[in-house]
Amino acid sequence: MSMKNHAEVAIIGGGIVGCAIAYYVAKSGIDCVLIEKNDIASGTSSRCDGNVTIVDKDPGFDSLMSWKSQELTIELNKELDLPFEYRPLGSLLVCENDREMQAAKEWVDIQTAAGLKFNLLDREDLRQESPYFADDIPGGLECETDSLINPYLFCYSLIEKAKQYGLKLQTQAEVTNITKKETFTIETTNGTFTAKKVVNAAGVWAPFIGKMLDLDIPIIPRKGHIMVGARQKPIMMRNVMEFGYLMNKFGRERIVDKRTEQHGVALVLEPTESQNFLLGSSRQFVGYDGRIDINVVETMARRAMRFYPKMNDFTMIRTYTGFRPWTSDHLPIVSEVDSIPGFFIAAGHEGDGISLATVTGKLIDELIRGVSDTIIPTDPLRFDRFAKVAVTQ
Amino acid sequence: MDQTIICRCEEVSLHDIQHTAATYNCSAREVKLRTRAGMGYCGGRTCRPAVDAVLEAATGEKAGHDIPMKVQPPVRPVSLSVLGGEVK
Repeated sequence: MSMKNHAEVAIIGGGIVGCAIAYYVAKSGIDCVLIEKNDIASGTSSRCDGNVTIVDKDPGFDSLMSWKSQELTIELNKELDLPFEYRPLGSLLVCENDREMQAAKEWVDIQTAAGLKFNLLDREDLRQESPYFADDIPGGLECETDSLINPYLFCYSLIEKAKQYGLKLQTQAEVTNITKKETFTIETTNGTFTAKKVVNAAGVWAPFIGKMLDLDIPIIPRKGHIMVGARQKPIMMRNVMEFGYLMNKFGRERIVDKRTEQHGVALVLEPTESQNFLLGSSRQFVGYDGRIDINVVETMARRAMRFYPKMNDFTMIRTYTGFRPWTSDHLPIVSEVDSIPGFFIAAGHEGDGISLATVTGKLIDELIRGVSDTIIPTDPLRFDRFAKVAVTQ
Repeated sequence: MDQTIICRCEEVSLHDIQHTAATYNCSAREVKLRTRAGMGYCGGRTCRPAVDAVLEAATGEKAGHDIPMKVQPPVRPVSLSVLGGEVK
């Protein structure tokens, strides 16, 4: 076997998580290869939106991870050569009624007490943000440190820099089998690779990689739709989610019509650098069927008009779907697998992959190097936390 | 010739596409995402044959249904109210 196909570390998956891992591992001077079955950012990372947010995170460990990611993203914006449409403008959460407004007040208090930059917004504040909001929207909240990026440009940018640090990149290579003796042997549709350590960063496809080593990885694809609105008049500058998005994400009860609940629909509006805007969102467990469901798109459009009725004549030019890698406790798995020393998992970032990619990449680099004082605590992200709990949807 | 506009909606020139393909030595899909060729208002209904032909020349990839330019619904732009129903 030629040295070209051997590396200290092999990373499987060229989505945003795999790209961030490749960047930090290569930067540490470790010989590494990234193996991707299609192209860089060809799965979930180009079928999503681009939030690096705390606004939708549970206070505590969840928000700490995002906060660390935001700090790393500020550094990367200086370090990386290719721009990735970084816009640190903060983001909003809007409420539909007074009951949500009350919850928003509590949310701001908790997050502020944790040292995060949250502010409550009233009706007048929202009018300043956008003239398109419905008159009866009572208010919301903002997180000042949230930012937007273009996920696939971010991936390209990370890979470009990682290559300068020595990363070897193999795209169009689907992993077909992995075996372990002293080293791992990774067979692909485009050559065989060997590595001392392997990182499974295959997102919703991570369970298939796990199976090759008889490992059950409890990640399930959760499908999400997004619409692209054409550039017309500027709607607003900052990213918006509705408070109900949190409820959907964490599976909490909402007061909405049946269809909205069934399709897991909650408003997300993201102005993009191209001056288009993205409208979301939906969350459904329908396996790996990526077809666009017009019924879900209609529910999303109806939800958008609830918050932005004056946008009724804005034009939608495209819709797409992506699979979010769901785990039962809404935290990713970023961990070595005890039963297979040298095998790491970095997957399961449902809806938070863009937010948490950088902190994940940094942490995996630290785990590989055996750093004891890691960027975030590792216990909540351990793989063996699922060992005693049955996985249910 | 270099400055010929291939994608009108996103104002992408022949030079932009060729330069991107040469600089990053990447797939047709990646050229499209980096330049936004074919990602504008027309959804490729105007520019698709031209973008496909230029990408094939630049990257050697034959245009399939999925790559480089997958057709994404809706078939043509529709207003939010057509999808979401007028407020009654």
